[in-house]
Amino acid sequence: MASTTKEEEVLIELQDVWKIYQLGEVEVPALRGVSLQIKKGEFLAVVGASGSGKSTMVNLIGCLDTPTKGTLYLKSQDVTHMSESDLSSLRGKTVGFVFQQYNLIPTLTAYQNILLPLELQEFDDEEAHKRAEELLKLVGLGDKMGNLPTQLSGGQQQRVSIARALAANPEIILADEPTGALDSVTGKEVIDMLHRLWKNEGKTIIMITHDHHLAQYAHTRVELKDGQIMTVQKTVHEKEMKLYHRGD
Amino acid sequence: MKLGKTFKHALNMVLHSRLRSWLTILGIVIGVASVIAIVSLGQSLQSSITSSLSGLGGDIVTVSPGAARGGDFGPGRVDREISTTKATSKAVILDTTDYQVLKGIPEILYVQPQIRGNVNVSYLGKAGSVSVTGVDQKVWALVTTSTMAQGRFLDSADQNVVVIGGRLASSYFSQPVGINKMLTVEGGAFRVVGILNDQSTSIYMPIQMAFTVIPNKVNNQYDSIVLKIKDQDFLDDDLAIITQKLTVSRHVTNRTMDFSVTSQKEQQATRAAALSTMTTFLVAIAAVSLLVGAVGIANTMFTSVLEKTKEIGIMKAIGARNQDILLIFIFNSAIIGLIGGLIGVILGGIMSYFLPSLLSSGIPFVRGNLLTVVSLNSVFMALGVSVGVGIIAGIVPAYQASKLKPVDALRFE
Ligand SMILES: Nc1ncnc2c1ncn2[C@@H]1O[C@H](COP(=O)(O)OP(=O)(O)OP(=O)(O)O)[C@@H](O)[C@H]1O
Ligand SMILES: [Mg+2]
Repeated sequence: MASTTKEEEVLIELQDVWKIYQLGEVEVPALRGVSLQIKKGEFLAVVGASGSGKSTMVNLIGCLDTPTKGTLYLKSQDVTHMSESDLSSLRGKTVGFVFQQYNLIPTLTAYQNILLPLELQEFDDEEAHKRAEELLKLVGLGDKMGNLPTQLSGGQQQRVSIARALAANPEIILADEPTGALDSVTGKEVIDMLHRLWKNEGKTIIMITHDHHLAQYAHTRVELKDGQIMTVQKTVHEKEMKLYHRGD
Repeated sequence: MKLGKTFKHALNMVLHSRLRSWLTILGIVIGVASVIAIVSLGQSLQSSITSSLSGLGGDIVTVSPGAARGGDFGPGRVDREISTTKATSKAVILDTTDYQVLKGIPEILYVQPQIRGNVNVSYLGKAGSVSVTGVDQKVWALVTTSTMAQGRFLDSADQNVVVIGGRLASSYFSQPVGINKMLTVEGGAFRVVGILNDQSTSIYMPIQMAFTVIPNKVNNQYDSIVLKIKDQDFLDDDLAIITQKLTVSRHVTNRTMDFSVTSQKEQQATRAAALSTMTTFLVAIAAVSLLVGAVGIANTMFTSVLEKTKEIGIMKAIGARNQDILLIFIFNSAIIGLIGGLIGVILGGIMSYFLPSLLSSGIPFVRGNLLTVVSLNSVFMALGVSVGVGIIAGIVPAYQASKLKPVDALRFE
């Protein structure tokens, strides 16, 4: 917590961001003038009804997509006018993704999946191998190095994908319903892991969730409705959160 | 991503869709193998013709009985045609009259009558049938373009002696035949005095002996007369003079001409031209199959890009640049091309080794002793072409893959 109060650096800034999908003749506005500042070290939960534009917003933040209108700054760089290639580099260095469906490469082992971002960032071999191994241990899968994704449970796959998201040591972790495909116990383990990353390593975490209980872990809660931000509120104090958990 | 890693991921992709990769590779294998086999067959035919009628011989002219025909293919065909002519028409022959006429032409340096036929030979219990040529031993050495590997040419005093081809000496019988060994030819004993520097199984002996040895030959009737002219710069003129003199002496006209006068150079050019036309045609057919292989690669790559759309999205989400994706897919198809090329070259090599013996009965100008060699050049060219084909076939699908937008790719199921 201490880190967030000290660091006031704005990591991500959205200024009147619009995303309009074109479905044939019809225009579908998924985001309608969203403005938001996310500071370094924040743990943000994005909530809202299905179709409210959560994924759209997070994909824009992760530079997977570009806004139709408005400006988006990532580490004070205007990404709306960046080339594909620069976007990929920036994305690879600063953002780690955790998806609902894990999205591991099916033909690569757990270890190779974690190695992939390191190879893309051209880490030297020795360092990359060391780091991949450490990360697998960190997520508690030191003994599953050679397993293909199909040889892992859902929770294990999600842990591999968290390790992969961490590999290139990005400042930001974007998680789109990371527990959506997991049972509540495993889901909580995954959230705990993200929570530890936020607390111990000062990662900035942006997590989409439908689960209000899980949203309690976050530091700030952003609620979307019909492509617009309804509320931005600090969530319950950490102390209270523990109490809340006890009663859970 | 570093090139080495890009290559590793491309290879991984090939290995993980093994069946499809192999089927695609097969397309290239067939194309490359047939090109290699046909090209090397063509090359060795070409070189066997040029070596049997070596670059020398520009001053050598052959007179044969029977009207000239275009597109004669080598000695085998010539023999057969002569015998057919003999069997069907009223004995078209060359004899001492023709010999004397030719001797009287001042532009001619040497006149060498010869007869030819097949005989039974044996050596140390192993027997076979080979071609024997009876030559005028006084001038043969001066007229022939063959060279001697061991021993000497025939001598005017020679009787029961022979000069034999290189392959007959080295590997035709169960044991190599050396100088001064005795060969049995049609029951008679002949001493080997020379071994030619070639790959033939032919035998050469004094023409007087040949008349007694070769079945169905009549004394002083020749199968052909080989001439050496004084100056090959006047070859065309000399050919005309020879033709004219023989036309007169044989009482024929241009229309009823019953002999032919050909120069080695001409024959060589005709055969080489016919051969290269045929080779080009066959290579074109083989190239079409290579093209089909290329289409196969392109098809596989398109399928693969489609199938891997989601993975491409994932890769991009974790930092892959367009060029990383592009290269992975191009490498993928280049690897398919390379593997196809390698296997194709090996298979083509094997095919071109066996092809001559399979075809020798069907194609008259391929004799048994054809040595097919796959040149290093054609190997590198085939590999280059197949990798190139792979890359070209892969470019469009790879480009398409690299241009996928990450969000769209990720949403793809
Ligand atoms: N590629 C697209 N083409 C057209 N419309 C789209 C596209 N992607 C999203 N939309 C629309 O944009 C709106 C927001 O979608 P988004 O995926 O951001 O919702 P979400 O809040 O993540 O929902 P969920 O909770 O179900 O994941 C929806 O109405 C959706 O139909
Ligand atoms: Mg969503």
